[in-house]
Amino acid sequence: MPLSHTLSKPNTFRKLAETAQAIAETRGSNAKIARCSQYFSTLENDRDLDLAACFLGEGAFSDVSGKRASVGSRTTSTLAADFCEIDYDLVFKPCKTATGSASETIEKLFTNIQEAKDKWSGRGLSLEEVKNIYDRLYEVSSRNDKQQILQESWEQMTPLEVKYFIRIMGRGSLRIGFESKSITSALAKAFDHPVKDIRHVHMLTGSIGKTAVMAKNNQLHEADFQLFQPVAFMLASPVESRSVEDFEAYVAEEKFDGMRCQLHAKGDEVKIFSRDLNDISGSFPEIIKEFAAKELPGTVLDGEICVYKEDTIQPFQLLQQRMGVKKPSKKIQKEYPVALISFDVLYHNEETLFAKPLTERRKLLNELSGEYQLPVTIQKAITAEEDVDVLFKQALEHGNEGLMLKHKHSAYEYGQRKKSWLKVKQPGGSLDTIMMYAHAGSGKRGGTYSDFTLGVSVREDERYEEEFIPIGKAYGGYTDDELKKLNARIKEITAEKYGPTLGLYPDIVIELEFDDIQVNKRTKANYTLRFPRFKAIRWDLSPDDVDTLKDVERLFEEKLNQERLGQAQNPSFEVK
Amino acid sequence: MLKITKTGNHGILLPDLGIGLDYSGPDAHFNFVSHGHADHIPWKVSGKVYATEPTKKFMRLRGKSYPVESLDFGIPIQTTDATVTLYPAGHILGSAMVFVESEEGNLLYTGDYRTPPSPATEGFELPVKPVDYFITEATFSLPVYKWAPHNQLQDQVTGFVKEALEADATPVFLAYNLGKAQELLYLMKDYDHPKQIHGAGYKLCQVYEDSGMSLGDYETYDRESCEGKILICPSSALSNGFASNVRKKKIAYCSGWAAMEARRSQLTVDKLIPLSDHLDFFELIRLCENLQPRKVLITHTPNPNVVQHYLTQRNIDAISLEAYAEAS
Repeated sequence: MPLSHTLSKPNTFRKLAETAQAIAETRGSNAKIARCSQYFSTLENDRDLDLAACFLGEGAFSDVSGKRASVGSRTTSTLAADFCEIDYDLVFKPCKTATGSASETIEKLFTNIQEAKDKWSGRGLSLEEVKNIYDRLYEVSSRNDKQQILQESWEQMTPLEVKYFIRIMGRGSLRIGFESKSITSALAKAFDHPVKDIRHVHMLTGSIGKTAVMAKNNQLHEADFQLFQPVAFMLASPVESRSVEDFEAYVAEEKFDGMRCQLHAKGDEVKIFSRDLNDISGSFPEIIKEFAAKELPGTVLDGEICVYKEDTIQPFQLLQQRMGVKKPSKKIQKEYPVALISFDVLYHNEETLFAKPLTERRKLLNELSGEYQLPVTIQKAITAEEDVDVLFKQALEHGNEGLMLKHKHSAYEYGQRKKSWLKVKQPGGSLDTIMMYAHAGSGKRGGTYSDFTLGVSVREDERYEEEFIPIGKAYGGYTDDELKKLNARIKEITAEKYGPTLGLYPDIVIELEFDDIQVNKRTKANYTLRFPRFKAIRWDLSPDDVDTLKDVERLFEEKLNQERLGQAQNPSFEVK
Repeated sequence: MLKITKTGNHGILLPDLGIGLDYSGPDAHFNFVSHGHADHIPWKVSGKVYATEPTKKFMRLRGKSYPVESLDFGIPIQTTDATVTLYPAGHILGSAMVFVESEEGNLLYTGDYRTPPSPATEGFELPVKPVDYFITEATFSLPVYKWAPHNQLQDQVTGFVKEALEADATPVFLAYNLGKAQELLYLMKDYDHPKQIHGAGYKLCQVYEDSGMSLGDYETYDRESCEGKILICPSSALSNGFASNVRKKKIAYCSGWAAMEARRSQLTVDKLIPLSDHLDFFELIRLCENLQPRKVLITHTPNPNVVQHYLTQRNIDAISLEAYAEAS
């Protein structure tokens, strides 16, 4: 424990960094929650608590602020090398490869290297001052300006503070085994409220900092839903991880291969928000127009946007042509017409419905569907696992992604709620691929080669000169033992080394599973896989057995041209 | 220029002198084994084999049946074309650096080493004569590796035990069976609490005791009686049922690699104690500065370039052993 431990006041950034480190060094989530809760209860000032909860739970900025510090890893890393007066390529990079983490590397080098230590003023910063630094980073755009601000800040921080400063800035995980779910539990414990209430207020405010302050001041009940302020989405858990016993407590809906969104409407005012709570109304003008014409009383719908053409829901690949297009042209709108299919209603006629059970919300949704001609998903009753199988097959026949199982009595809550919403999905397909490159892992997997670039064969393909070309990158689906075995083998088949990446001789065949194939003109293969992961390491196969690019093209064509049963034949949504 | 060859993990050969260093193969008449870790013990030899007495015993316990002559530290022996002397390397008991004097120049091969030395070894000592070729391991050859002073690490070890016992948990140290496990026992010699060590490590402790290196009181691991005692085992044992009947455990991982945070979640441990059998990056650079060899040959590292870069800045000629061997 550093000497400064006893000296740092609750509202300093050093105290926050020490707390984060203490949480990292504590095993067991209850013990971690207790440690964090204790820290929260020492923060007397509202503003400090707001910032501390935000830094630990969301990052430099609140999720709904839309702000980013936008500092790339190279910006921090090259500056850190200069700070230590070491060579970036020769010294910093191999260190980063070894630890698997830029922020950890920086912490260690700042601790070990005299040139860095000499720059430390020992002044220390308050939470508010660190917040100002993040704001300034947001305001400037050139790398030079950002590095100038970082340099000044780092001179006033201990190496431990610098590590967490960088992690908070990056909005990624703090890597202390403590994610936002645990933060809500820590707040509940610190200020003696039910976790459920904290979570609800978090959903409404979209800000963990505001939620913390309201919890501290016993103002949770004052949190209010406001139309046109998006609320955080409820998410489903994969069904594999939870065994369902009471099937009759669930209803099934088909899961569309579309884009999740939240629609707020009142009269002719309509807005659509994406899952990360951004306003995406501009991208889908025809939906806005359609709903404006309906003149709904204040209403919030949860649903999925799909390309709907010729009486049939089209594959996700077509929707991609609309995603991220801020002002779609008439031509694009005509070619890829979209529809919003609703499956939940969260607010209606001045009343929030989050706490109501699903069956009640659905009853209202069906009524609205009839009154305002809203397309809504069809819910089907199930009683046993066999029903799920039948409905699942049917969903796939419709060209849909799979099935959602929703608990009839479940309330609408933020995040993944155990056993409330479950998704049943089928893998998009699998390919036998060759391992081309191994990349040193980062974070939890630092120090081993855990990310792999996989390729397909183009040996017989006159369009290419090489033997194999990359088709995707996978970093999961293997066990720890398999990873060890792979790492041992990789050592023997390394052809070249480029920093953290090893080029490999063709040898290891991986059966790669993926959700979908997409066209991507920026890649050599022209295709990328969605969510590629290991299905099996095929020690029994050789490079000659690897699937070809032609196989990939064939799979893509099959998916695109798959017979999709139109609405008329066997509908998966309806208008009541 | 002294000719040195190195192929794969077969160790090092000085072909003109007929000398092998941790070498497996037919081309050495005189073989020297630096220490008793498996990756340094030859698996096939021709010619004579020399090692310190403890190393010889570790080799026997690891099932090597070829004849080994024991050699004391500091006592030179003559080979056909050279004089060879062993110096204590401070890595584990019996670990030796091999000093070869010949007409082609003087060569010091470090094997694995640590300076300041592990207290459970014969210490660390360099030859007085000038060193021309310095073949050094560089396991922790990056500036992210810097060890805390040894007394602080000892405090971490005993502090961890105290904390675990106070929490009514059984303290478990994950440590190599040879070297680290015995150093832990040595560090806790005066800590009055029963200790049990994994069976394979227990056998190796006897070599320490026989050499006059007392490790205090300890017994071999016994599943039925291990609860509440201080336990020491290699990390692999824990996933194979070691003390799996003990519900409340606190686990500390003791290794130089514990300096990396990723190890915490990879091994699911409560504490990382970066207690290493090897010297750190800064100690390595300082040692080279003091030794001023004509040439530093770097091995046992994926990053010889980093050490080379630092040494070149200090006007010390350095190259990776593999690159030198290829050129010679």
